[in-house]
Amino acid sequence: MNCEEFAGAGMERDLFLGGPESAAAREHLRSCPQCAALYESSLALSADLRELGQQTSDATTPSRVEMRLRQEFRTLHTTEKSRGRMVVASWLLAAATLALVVSSLLLWRKHGEVYTANAHPSSGTPVAVHSVANGPELGGTLIAESDGDEFALIPGAIPGLLDDTTVVRVQMERGALGALGLSVDEERANDVVQVDLLLGADGQPQAYRLPQSNN
Amino acid sequence: MHIDSQERDDVLLKRSAKGDEEAFTQLYRRNQAQIYRFALRMTGHAWAAEEIVQDVFMTLVREPKKYDPARGSLGAFLYGVARNRVMKHLERLPREFSLEVKNSEGEAKILEVADERTPAHWAEIRERRERVRSAVSSLPPEFRETVVLCELEEMSYEEAAQMLECPIGTVRSRLHRGRALLLAKLEMLREPPKRANAGR
Repeated sequence: MNCEEFAGAGMERDLFLGGPESAAAREHLRSCPQCAALYESSLALSADLRELGQQTSDATTPSRVEMRLRQEFRTLHTTEKSRGRMVVASWLLAAATLALVVSSLLLWRKHGEVYTANAHPSSGTPVAVHSVANGPELGGTLIAESDGDEFALIPGAIPGLLDDTTVVRVQMERGALGALGLSVDEERANDVVQVDLLLGADGQPQAYRLPQSNN
Repeated sequence: MHIDSQERDDVLLKRSAKGDEEAFTQLYRRNQAQIYRFALRMTGHAWAAEEIVQDVFMTLVREPKKYDPARGSLGAFLYGVARNRVMKHLERLPREFSLEVKNSEGEAKILEVADERTPAHWAEIRERRERVRSAVSSLPPEFRETVVLCELEEMSYEEAAQMLECPIGTVRSRLHRGRALLLAKLEMLREPPKRANAGR
């Protein structure tokens, strides 16, 4: 082994553990003072480094670091938990609001259907009833105040009794309407007209409506 | 909640990620000393090592999913994070080096004289240690970390290669060159001045 080979073999560790290379290196050291000196320096360096390592071998992180980290850990996870609760609460609130809106919409639609049904002749339950007791009369002709789709109270009927009613469509001479207390044009008294009568719970007509075809 | 002391790191980490403080504490206690020593030997400062350990474990608290068990042990992962922090520290303070050695409570460690050697002898020993530390700290980072891992931490080449994520041959080569640099620095320091003799 020459000097170059000795340097290339590496003197860092375990030169004298055994093996043919180690034997050749030892042989070279005996014959080469320069490499022997280098090797001595290397051994001294190893000892110095070992000592340096031992000086810090029992070094450990100060306990305050653990305390700080645990505190940080607690803070972080507490914040996450409360953030999670906030998110859940927000979703619950949003769901409740949505449910409220949907139920309100459904109620509104249902109410609208009831209103429409009440306004229709076949539904049987009047809602909007107008009295003509004090209303205008045009030359003795029986008229409905509105467009003919709404009932008008017969003179003397009490609006409070209209809770439980039935609608009946009848054909009669126009003059017969006089019996209900309505004024009738005598020239047209023999005309046959269709009349929707709103009968109260006692079976007495409370309101009337002339379908559009009669006007 | 009771935690088995033999519980695997990745299991502890999962529990820690769910907010189990005991699991986190156990992980910390299991790994902190190794990270601290590495940081201390690399930076030469107890305060810097302390800061680095805190940073490393804060990463574990804030981003536990960064660790992938399929890629290696948690210890190696923490070493990697510590190594990055150390390199950043060295970039900031390229030439700064402290000789302080502090105990776990951060107090300066006093060298105790246990035999009857003279103060002059101890002064010489301290001076030599100072030289060695100074020489190690002046190594380029890649050589320094290899020297720290293989010589001071007494890791095998394989372990060091795993920590540094490089081939074993690279570790050998860096160690060889690192030692050569150290020898050169220390020999220069050891050589007596020759100018005085030359003049006479």
